[in-house]
Amino acid sequence: MKKTECRAVALLIMLSACASACSPVAPWQRGILAKSSMALEPNPMQSSLREHTHGSREAASGSSSASGGGCGCY
Amino acid sequence: MAVTKSKTRYNIGPACRQLAKHLLSGTAKPKPAKSSSSSLQALTVAAMALPGLIMSAAYAAEDDDVNFQYGHYQEGKRNLYNVQNNKNPIEVDSLLGRAKISLTDRIKFAFNYTQDTWSGATPITTAPLVLGGNRAIQADTITRPRRTITTGASPYLNGEILLNKNFIPLRQNSRGKVTGEDTQLVHTLSSASPETRKQGDFKLGYEWDEAALDVGGGISVENDYESRFGNINGRWDFNQKLTSLNLGLSYTNSDTSAILDHDSSPYITKTAFLDRIEQVNALKIMHGNREDWATTLGLTQVLNKDALIETSIGYTRSTGYMENPYKAMTVVFVDPDQQTKNLTGNVQAFLEQRPDQRNQLTLGGRYIQHIDMLDSALHLGYHFFHDDWDINAHTFDADWVQPIGNTWTVTPRVRYYSQDAADFYSPYLLSKQAYSKVTYNESTGTFSTVSYDPQKLPANFSSDQRLSGFGALSGGVTVNKQFSKAVSLEAGFEYYTHAGSLKLAGGGEGDYADFNYYVANAALKVNLSALDSGGHSNHADHAAHSHHGGHGPAGVMFDHMLSKTNDVMVGYRFMYSRQAGNMLHGSNPVSDLDIVNNGCGKGLNGCRLTPTYMNMSMHMLDIMVAPTDWLNLMLMPQFMDMDMNLRELNGAPPVKPGGHVHTGTGHATGGVGDTGIYALVKVFDKPMHHVHAGLGLSAPTGDVGIKLRRTHRQDEGFIHYGMQLGSGTWDFKPSLTYTGKLDDWSWGAQISGTKRLENKNASGFAFGDIFQSTAWGGYSLTRWLSASVRGVYTLQGAVNGQFNPTQGTVNGKLVNNVNPSAGPMDFPSSYGGRYWDVGFGLNAVVPSGPLAGNSFGFEWLQPVNTDVNGYQLDRDGALSASWSIMF
Repeated sequence: MKKTECRAVALLIMLSACASACSPVAPWQRGILAKSSMALEPNPMQSSLREHTHGSREAASGSSSASGGGCGCY
Repeated sequence: MAVTKSKTRYNIGPACRQLAKHLLSGTAKPKPAKSSSSSLQALTVAAMALPGLIMSAAYAAEDDDVNFQYGHYQEGKRNLYNVQNNKNPIEVDSLLGRAKISLTDRIKFAFNYTQDTWSGATPITTAPLVLGGNRAIQADTITRPRRTITTGASPYLNGEILLNKNFIPLRQNSRGKVTGEDTQLVHTLSSASPETRKQGDFKLGYEWDEAALDVGGGISVENDYESRFGNINGRWDFNQKLTSLNLGLSYTNSDTSAILDHDSSPYITKTAFLDRIEQVNALKIMHGNREDWATTLGLTQVLNKDALIETSIGYTRSTGYMENPYKAMTVVFVDPDQQTKNLTGNVQAFLEQRPDQRNQLTLGGRYIQHIDMLDSALHLGYHFFHDDWDINAHTFDADWVQPIGNTWTVTPRVRYYSQDAADFYSPYLLSKQAYSKVTYNESTGTFSTVSYDPQKLPANFSSDQRLSGFGALSGGVTVNKQFSKAVSLEAGFEYYTHAGSLKLAGGGEGDYADFNYYVANAALKVNLSALDSGGHSNHADHAAHSHHGGHGPAGVMFDHMLSKTNDVMVGYRFMYSRQAGNMLHGSNPVSDLDIVNNGCGKGLNGCRLTPTYMNMSMHMLDIMVAPTDWLNLMLMPQFMDMDMNLRELNGAPPVKPGGHVHTGTGHATGGVGDTGIYALVKVFDKPMHHVHAGLGLSAPTGDVGIKLRRTHRQDEGFIHYGMQLGSGTWDFKPSLTYTGKLDDWSWGAQISGTKRLENKNASGFAFGDIFQSTAWGGYSLTRWLSASVRGVYTLQGAVNGQFNPTQGTVNGKLVNNVNPSAGPMDFPSSYGGRYWDVGFGLNAVVPSGPLAGNSFGFEWLQPVNTDVNGYQLDRDGALSASWSIMF
């Protein structure tokens, strides 16, 4: 891996590690987090179409998981 | 990577009131410290009991919903430089249906159905421009004086090029004189006829208070590729649900069974795959199998009340046949011993060869921040990909989710992607050896031919653009409109540009490989949970009583009305029909010779082909609203797909130039069909008897200009009438329906028709008018299940007019009409007929629970008598299935 890639990976690990030390949020303070705009995937239908398209045109996207997707041999 | 979604669910009922009580009592009268701690505990318990908040940490409760989406992918034309590119680029029509339902409070079930149909021109290989891989198709006119015209472009994979001593390709003028070096590359394009993929998959999950486990599986089937997969995912919430850990494992097993293209295959060297290629009559079929194991580990963490972060790491191991069987590598063989001033290169094409294994690693993160001032959410994502094919890829994306008012959400989005080339990628290969060479053996005094040494070629090679180095920039917007608590519409658009020059840190592929595409999509989303909580507590009764006699059999359209003003119904219908078995003339089976002699018109050369089967599937959305209690309006968009296979008739005459010669491989079409717009008007309404009339139009949104691809040096015209996706004409569709109900019995009758409002469509023909009458009886077996029997008579006229002549080139000659005429399915007179059917149906309305009010229907139509116009395949039957919900 190149240097820049290593840095990106290190940053992600640091972020994950710091996460557990983040400020506590009481259950009644989670109204904003429950908004649909804050969902990890706000438009799941469209995302699956987009991922399928990227998977048939890019090398990296096709390997994400076993959700089918077919050959995309075009 | 497992993508987990969270959804809003505000059901502020008793738990909220309890929480409010606690809050109010807390503010009204401050308590001592000890007591405030217990108050805090009580608050926490109360808050955790709120459905919307209990899961609102990393993973919110997923609502029950049913969604439908249509998507269209359209690629731009590729640059062929010195040849005009008149080939239609790749386009894909996709349909996605998705249902997520709670079987119990803790058991969840999700089902997805996906269907894609694609067609168009795509690169088969890459070659130096001087080879002329895409050549203009020249045709001589048959009129005098004869002249040569250009009618299109055709791919060439083999040939000779001139190179200088440094192995750089040289450009020559029309007289063969070298005019300079030319390093320009170009894709060689080849067209594909439409093909359809269908996929079904499910997920079954169990949820504990702080964990969830789900198992899933599915299958994806297309003509040349079948994929089966299974997965298991676990989730653990801890740290008061501020942290969630996900672990997933999946397995996919895929079989390739690809018919190698008849036109290009003879020009492609396949020696490395001889043990994989099966010869079936004239067809060469490539077989392969691959397996993929993937695992992902993800962590989602709430950072504060306005932000959360998700990180994930994934590993995938793929083994087996990973080639694309339709991609070839251009190899320029140059004998370095040539004594001439310039070198001659022998250009050959080889099936691409990829390694048998691939280990892939993905790392990613997503940060989501709420912007209080605008009530919007910013999503920032980064993913890194690395594999042992030496591909490193980076993906950056940003979404801005902006609610506008109470019902609109607009989400602009931008994405940047960059990847390195695979270590075995090359646009083309240069091999410094002769492809084949005649040598003289002085000791024996004999000549012998020596072929190239395969060992001197790399073990793996591919010129697939997906493995090249490039960057891609895309941007788009999604608009979501909430019409009610339960129903929303979503529309999205994305434009994508792929370019070598966009690659991170440079060094990408040349601009010959650049292309663009757009994807547009529209979705209808029905939230069943919102229905459940929206005051319609008695859906089952609502569904059963708001229209008279409930639903008719699943195959009957316009069977009921909504009887209350402002009622809305959303439904889905699926219809499948199959024709197979004997060829009929009238009601009687006929021999091959009869079809040869009489099936293709008088005075012509006779039929050569006949269909062996034809399947048609139709997916239809059924949206119904009641602006008043006597008028209902309906919108019915459709998505169609069809496939057909042909065989050669015994006693068929020899192939005539311009004839339709391919057999055994089948045809397929698919995409958006016609769209129906209807009004139902109440005519008579008593407790026992009800009559309503329907008036409607069918708009010609289905394509009726689908043509077969050029093969065997012959252009081909329109694909058969019955394989087109719509009627192409505006059609008037009236109906009159009577329904009755007494105790457990229900009955009904309907007459309906289709009158074409135009003599011909844009392609030159119009389908025949249709008249149908049907009557049925039903009995309620239980409160929620009923059975029905019905009879149907259908009359349809033959096709009027015929396809407009299609000019094309056949073996270098310009032919004024290349439309197929080799079988009865190409003749207007062999459409329509008179049909009797009997239908057996079941209807169910879910009586209680979270799915209360959902209606399901199934019906099988069994042909009883078939009397066709001309020569047509017998019918096997038709299946109808429907779902609907009213609110």
